Amino acid sequence: MKKIFFILSIFLSITANAQQKSILLMNGIAHLGTDSIIQNSIIGIKNGKIILVADARTAKIDKTAYDEIVDIPEKHLYPGIIAPNSTLGLSEMEAVRASNDFKEVGTLLPNVRSLIAYNTDSKIIPTIRSNGVLLAQITPRGGLISGTSSILMLDGWNWEDAAYKIDDGLHINWPRIQTRKFLDEDNIYPGPYEKNKEYTKQTNELKKLFSDAKAYNESELKEEKNLRFEAMKEVFNGRQTIYIHTDNVKEIIEAVNFAKQYGLKQVAIVGGKDSWMVTDLLKENNISVIVSRLHDLPEHPEDDTDLPFKLPYLLQKAGVLFCLNNEGSMEAMGTRNLPFMAGTAVAYGLTKEQALKAITLNTAKILGIDKTAGSIEVGKDANLFISTGDALDMRTNNVEKAYLKGVSIDLDNDQKKLYQKYKNKYGLK
Amino acid sequence: MKNIFLFLLALTLSNTTFAQQTFPVNGISNQNHIVYAFTNAEIFVDHEIILEKGVLLIKDGLIISAAEKTEIPKGAVVYDLKGKSIYPALIDAYTSYGMPELRTGNRGPYPQMESNTKGAYGWNQAIKGEVEANKIFSKDNRAAEEMRKMGFGAVLTFQKDGIVRGSAAVVALGEGRENELMISDKAAAMYSFDKGTSMQDYPSSLMGSIALLRQTYLDAEWYKKDKIKKEYNISLDAFNNLQPLSQIIETTDKLSVLRADKIGDEFKIKYIIKGSGNEYQRLDDLKETNCKFIIPLNFPTAYDVEDAYDAMNVSLTELKHWEMAPLNPFALEKYLIQFAITTADLKDKKDFWKNLRKAIFYGLSEKQALKSLTVTPAELLNVSDKIGRLKSGMMANFIITSGNLFDEKTMIYENWIQGIPYKINDYNSIDIRGDYDFSYDKKGSYKLKVEGDLDKLKGTVLIDSVKIPMNIAVSGNSVSISFNSTKEAYSPDGIIGTIRLSGNINSEPLKMNGKGQTADGDWIDWSATFKTGYLPEQKKDSSKKEALKYGQVIYPFCAYGKKLDDRDRFDKIIYDFKNRYQAVLIKHVTVWTNESEGVLKNQDVYITEGRIVRIADDINATKLAFAKIIDGTGKHLTAGIIDEHSHIAISNGVNEGAQASSAEVRIGDVVNSEDINIYRQLAGGVTTAQLLHGSANPIGGQSALIKLRWGKSPEEMKFAKADGFIKFALGENVKQSNFGDFNTIRFPQSRMGVEQVYYDSFIRAKEYDAKQKAFSLLSDKAKNNSVPFRRDLELEALTEILNKKRFITCHSYVQSEINMLMHVADSMGFKVNTFTHILEGYKVADKMKAHGAGASTFSDWWAYKMEVQDAIPYNAALLTQMGITTAINSDDAEMGRRLNQEAAKSVKYGGVTEEEALKMVTLNPAKLLHIDNRVGSIKVGKDADLVLWSDNPLSIYAKAEKTIIDGLIYFDKEEDIKLRDDIQKERARIIQRMIDDKKGGAPTQKPVPKKQKLYGCDSMELDYMQTE
Repeated sequence: MKKIFFILSIFLSITANAQQKSILLMNGIAHLGTDSIIQNSIIGIKNGKIILVADARTAKIDKTAYDEIVDIPEKHLYPGIIAPNSTLGLSEMEAVRASNDFKEVGTLLPNVRSLIAYNTDSKIIPTIRSNGVLLAQITPRGGLISGTSSILMLDGWNWEDAAYKIDDGLHINWPRIQTRKFLDEDNIYPGPYEKNKEYTKQTNELKKLFSDAKAYNESELKEEKNLRFEAMKEVFNGRQTIYIHTDNVKEIIEAVNFAKQYGLKQVAIVGGKDSWMVTDLLKENNISVIVSRLHDLPEHPEDDTDLPFKLPYLLQKAGVLFCLNNEGSMEAMGTRNLPFMAGTAVAYGLTKEQALKAITLNTAKILGIDKTAGSIEVGKDANLFISTGDALDMRTNNVEKAYLKGVSIDLDNDQKKLYQKYKNKYGLK
Repeated sequence: MKNIFLFLLALTLSNTTFAQQTFPVNGISNQNHIVYAFTNAEIFVDHEIILEKGVLLIKDGLIISAAEKTEIPKGAVVYDLKGKSIYPALIDAYTSYGMPELRTGNRGPYPQMESNTKGAYGWNQAIKGEVEANKIFSKDNRAAEEMRKMGFGAVLTFQKDGIVRGSAAVVALGEGRENELMISDKAAAMYSFDKGTSMQDYPSSLMGSIALLRQTYLDAEWYKKDKIKKEYNISLDAFNNLQPLSQIIETTDKLSVLRADKIGDEFKIKYIIKGSGNEYQRLDDLKETNCKFIIPLNFPTAYDVEDAYDAMNVSLTELKHWEMAPLNPFALEKYLIQFAITTADLKDKKDFWKNLRKAIFYGLSEKQALKSLTVTPAELLNVSDKIGRLKSGMMANFIITSGNLFDEKTMIYENWIQGIPYKINDYNSIDIRGDYDFSYDKKGSYKLKVEGDLDKLKGTVLIDSVKIPMNIAVSGNSVSISFNSTKEAYSPDGIIGTIRLSGNINSEPLKMNGKGQTADGDWIDWSATFKTGYLPEQKKDSSKKEALKYGQVIYPFCAYGKKLDDRDRFDKIIYDFKNRYQAVLIKHVTVWTNESEGVLKNQDVYITEGRIVRIADDINATKLAFAKIIDGTGKHLTAGIIDEHSHIAISNGVNEGAQASSAEVRIGDVVNSEDINIYRQLAGGVTTAQLLHGSANPIGGQSALIKLRWGKSPEEMKFAKADGFIKFALGENVKQSNFGDFNTIRFPQSRMGVEQVYYDSFIRAKEYDAKQKAFSLLSDKAKNNSVPFRRDLELEALTEILNKKRFITCHSYVQSEINMLMHVADSMGFKVNTFTHILEGYKVADKMKAHGAGASTFSDWWAYKMEVQDAIPYNAALLTQMGITTAINSDDAEMGRRLNQEAAKSVKYGGVTEEEALKMVTLNPAKLLHIDNRVGSIKVGKDADLVLWSDNPLSIYAKAEKTIIDGLIYFDKEEDIKLRDDIQKERARIIQRMIDDKKGGAPTQKPVPKKQKLYGCDSMELDYMQTE
C-alpha cells in the first residue's frame, strides 16, 4: 500500500512541474514568514519552487530568465496560510448527516484515513483559499484514536492530485478526566460535568494498543496482518506525528507522560487551552501546541476575559512552538477566518510577523512540512499569495493572486458568483 | 386567683364538648382531663416574653396558662423543671411530611403535547390546584420522630409537584390519628416555577412557567365570572378556591424572587417567598418587594481545593457563597425582612441545628432565630392563634430543654405535642460527670474521671498515675463501667483482662457502688465517691471570633462583580459629601459621529448626567470641576455597539417551543443580570443588546432590550421606554428538520405549514381584538350580564403587532419564506420590522425594500445547514446598497464581543465604507430597534453610550479600552486588570479558609467543572440529539 502511494506522489509532482511557468514577483512587500519583511522584494519562482528571494533595491536580476513578470508595488506577499486540524472537504453542511465524512464507528481507528474522503470539489474550499489559506491538514474526528490525517492542497482535480503529505499523523483524543452528561435535569443540553469513571479503562486501552502495535511492528514474524498495527508503523520511528487532542491541564500532563513512555518523537497537543500553565513541561519534551480556536470564550468566568486571545502570546513568551487552528462549530467554513485570528493575537501581544508565523511556518514545522512549505524561502515550494493590503486585518485582506507549487490558482467562488448575479439583477455596480 | 379557676372551668367545659369524637373505642375508653403543671422552668412564652421562674399549666392538649405566679390546681401532675427551659415547639413552614411519594412518568422520545391527567381538569399537567394536602396527608411516625427530635411540633405540608401545587395543611407531629393532627386543613396555596413530574412539553422554560402561571390567573378570573360556563374545569375552580389562603411560591434563586414579585404585583398578590439561601446577594432589591420569606439553611459544603488545578473548577461565586451563605439569615434580619426558617433543602436534616448555630455565630440573633421558627411561621400560615406561642388557649406544643435552646450543649428532653409528651432525652438521668475517689476489691486510692456529653460519656481510671480509658454508661440510676487492667498488679487476681463493674447511683450525695467481675470471673465490690464537678472544656471562643471574617457582597455575585461603594458588608455607609453626578471629559479623540459630520479628528467630548453634552475642538477642563478627564490622543470614540440579536443574560431556557406559537412568553421575565458574558461583551464595546427568544417555533416570545449595566438588577438593565419586539422564525428550526426523527408531530413540519400558522394566528388575533374592543365599550352592568371577556396573553401580543405596538424580528434564511411572510404581513396590515439572519436577503432585497423591512444579518456564516447553502458574505453590503437598513448581529456569546470585527468584514466583502460598516453595529441596529433617537451615534443630547478604542474601531488590532453607558464607565481596561488581581486574591483567601476547614475535619466535596450554557437560536430541549 505504502509503496504505491510513494510512487504516486512522485508521479504527481512531476506532472505538476510539467505545467510550470517561471514567474518573477517584483516590488511587493514580502512577509517571509520567518519574522522578516522585505519592503521592496523580488521573488523568483521556477519549476514550482522559490528560487530567489531578494531586496529589489540591491539585487541584480535577469528578468529575461522568467516567463512572466508580475509587478506588485505596495501589495503584500505572504506564504500560503496552512490550516491544521481541519475537516475541510470532509463536511459540507454540518446539520446534514449525508454531507459529513469525518467520523467513523469505533474508538481505536488508526487505520482510518481522511485522505481518501477529501472532496476536492467541496463548495467551501474555494471560499477558504480566496482568503489566503492554501494548505490544510484534513483530520478525522471522534473516538479515542480518530484516524490518520493527511495534508492537502486546497486546489486539485482529486485527492491524489491535491495530496501534499500523505498520512502525516495519528490523532488521539485524550480521554476526559471529567465528562459531561448529555442533558441536565431539565433535559436541556448540555448536562453537568461528572468524573469520568471510564478514564483509567480508556487510557489503558490506548496504552495497550501502543504497546501491542510497537511489539507487532518490531517483530519479524507477523502471523496475521493487523490493519490497526500496520497503520501505526511510522509512529514509533518519528516519521508520523502523534497529535493528542486535549485542553485540560491534567490531561495534558498525562498525555505528555504517555508520549514519553512510548518514546514518541513527534508530538503535538491539539487544543491546549490550559497549555500556558505547563509551558516548561512542553518545552522540556519538545512538544508543540496547535492552539484551540482563538475566537472563543474563556473556560471559567474568572479567567481573564481575553485569555483565549492572548494564549498565543503566552506560549510565544514561554518559547513553546505553536500554531493556530479553527476546530469547533462551523469549522470548515470558518477556516477562512484563520488570518483574522492571527490578527486578533496581534492585538493581544504577538508581533504581526509572529502572528503570521502562527498560521504559516510554525504550522509547517508542527505538521512536518517546513522543508517545503510555510515560508518564502529559496528552495521551498512556491505556495504564496498576494493581498492588496494587510492580510491579517479583514478590512484589507484582499487576495488577488495565489500560487500553489508555483501554479496560479482560481480565486473565484460560488459566493462571488451569486454576488455578481444579484448585483446584475439590481443593476448595481 | 378565683379567675384562674373560673377560666379553668370554662376551658374544661368547652374542651369536653370539643373532645367528643366519632371513632368507636376498642376496649376501655381512656378519658384524661388531668392538669399538668410545669414549675420552676424558664419559660419562653415567645421570642419576646421570658418568664424566669414560670409555671406552665396544660390540660386536654391546650395551654391553660403560662405565668410567673400561678396557683396549681389540686390533682395536677407537677413536674419540677428547675434549671430547665420551656420553649414553644418549633414550626417548619415548608415540608412534604406525610405526603405520598411522587412518581415521575416516562416521557419516551415523542413530544407530549397534552396533559396526561385524566378527567375534567385543565389543559396543563403542571397546574395542580386541585391537590389538597389535607386529603392526602398520612402521618409518618418515623419522619415525625426525626422532626420532633429537632424540636419541631408542627409543619406545613404539601405535595411538592407542579407550578400550581394546590393547598397545604398545617399538621402536628404527634402520633395520633390524622383527624387529631390536623391543625389547619387549608393553610396556604403553593406555587413554583418548576413543572415537576409533568412530562407535558409546555412549559419547557422558566419564561414559559411564568407565562403559564399568569395565564392561569387570568383564566381562573374569567372562569369565576362566567356564569353560563360552557366549560367545566376542576383545575380552575380549585385555583379560585386557593386564592383566599396565604400564597407561597418557591424560588430557586434570588432573581426568581423578583420574578415572583412581579407576577404578584400584576395580580395583586403578596407572595410569601420560599427562598433559596442566596437572598443576601441582592438584598436591596429583595427588600423593596416587601415580601416575607421562608428560608432554608442549606449552606454549601466546602470544596476540596488542595489540588490547584482542580480548584480552578470552583467558581468565585461558589467560593464566596460557601463563605457567605451562613450570613443569609443575619442579613435578612439586618434588613428587617420578616422570615421563617425551614429545614427544607437540607441534604441531611441532621445538619439543621449545626447550621442554625452557624447562622447565629454569623450574627443572627437568638431572638430572631426563635421568632423565625415559631411566631413568624405561625403568622405566615394563619395559625398564630393555635401555635407558635405559649399562650392561654393555644395548643400545648412545647419543648423542654436543658437550657438555652441555641446553645450547642443544650439537650431537648421532651417534646410535648397537643399535650402528649414525646421523650427525647431523660432529664431525670443524673449528671455523674466529675472526679471520683475509686476503689475496687477493697483496694482504694484510685481515681475515676467521667466527662464528655451527657448522652456520650467518656471516662478514665487513674491507677498509680497510669491513665486507663474506660467505657461508662448510665441508664436511669444504673451505671456500668468496664476497663482493661493493663498490669497484673491492677487486677485483683493478677490476670490482665477486662474488669466489668455494675452498680447503682445515689444522687444525693453523688456516689456509685456495686458489684463487678474480673477477667477471671471473680466477683468483686466497688465504689466511687464524688469529689469535684465536671468543668466543660472552654471551646476556643476567641479563635472562633477570629474566624468570622468574610468578604463583601459583589454585584453581580460572580467574577468581575464589584462591591457597592456605600457598603461595608451589610452596613450602609453614609458619606458626608457625594458627587451629585459623574461627568467625563474625553480630550483629543477621533470621534466617529455616525452623523453627517462623519469622523472628526482631535475633538473633546463632554458627557454628564448620562448624556452627551458637548462636542468641540477644545473644552476647557478647569471649568468642569467634577469631570473625570480622559486623554483620548491617538484613540477613537464611537457610539456603543448594539447587538440586535443576542441570547446572553437569559435564565433557564431561550426557547418555549412546545407549541407553534408562544407569543405569551417574555424574555423580559427571565433576564439574568449575573451572566459573565455581559461583562465580556462590555469588554468588546457592546452597550445595548436585544435578547431574543429562540427559533423553535414560528411565533416565538417577546424580546427584552437591555443596556449592559453590569451589576444592576434585571429591571434596572432594561432599556427604558423602548418599543416591544417579538421573535418570529421560519425554516428548518420551526419545522424541526434537525431535531431528530421523533420530532415529527408538532405542526408545522414544512414551510407550507408555517404560512398557515401565521394566517391562523393573525385571524384569531383580529377576532380577539375586535371582541376585546367591543367588550370594553359595554357598560359595567352589561359587562356583568354578558359572557366575560377572557384575556389571552398569546393573542394579546399578536394584537399588539396588528396595532403597531409590538414589532417583529424574524429569523429567516431562504428567499421563499421571506417573501411569504411579507405577503402575510401585507394582507394582515402589519409590517415585518426586521428580518434577522436573512442570509438570502440579497435575493429579495427589492421586495424587502418595497415592504419596508430592515435586515440584521451575519457577516460570513454559512454551510452549517441546508437552508444556508446560498448564504454569501456580500449580503450586508448588497442590502446596504439597496437602501435597506442593515445591521450585523452575533446570535453568539463569543462573537458578540467582536462585533466591530464582524462589521469590518463588510469592508472586505462588498467594499462598504468604514463609516457605513461601523453603523452596521451601532446606528443601524438602533434604527431597527427604534432607539436611534437615544443611542447609535455621537450627538449632543443622546445617551452617553460610548466606546473608547485603542485604534480604528474596525481594525483587527483595535481593543475597547473604556465602555461607557449612561455616562458611567462600565468597563475600563485598567480597572479590569485590578479586578483580575482582586479575583485572584479573593479566591486565594477563601481557598485558604477551605483548606483550613478541611484540616479541621470539615467535610468537602470534589470540584467539578461547570460550564455555562450558552444559547443560540437553536438551543432548546433535546435539540442536540442528532447533531453530536
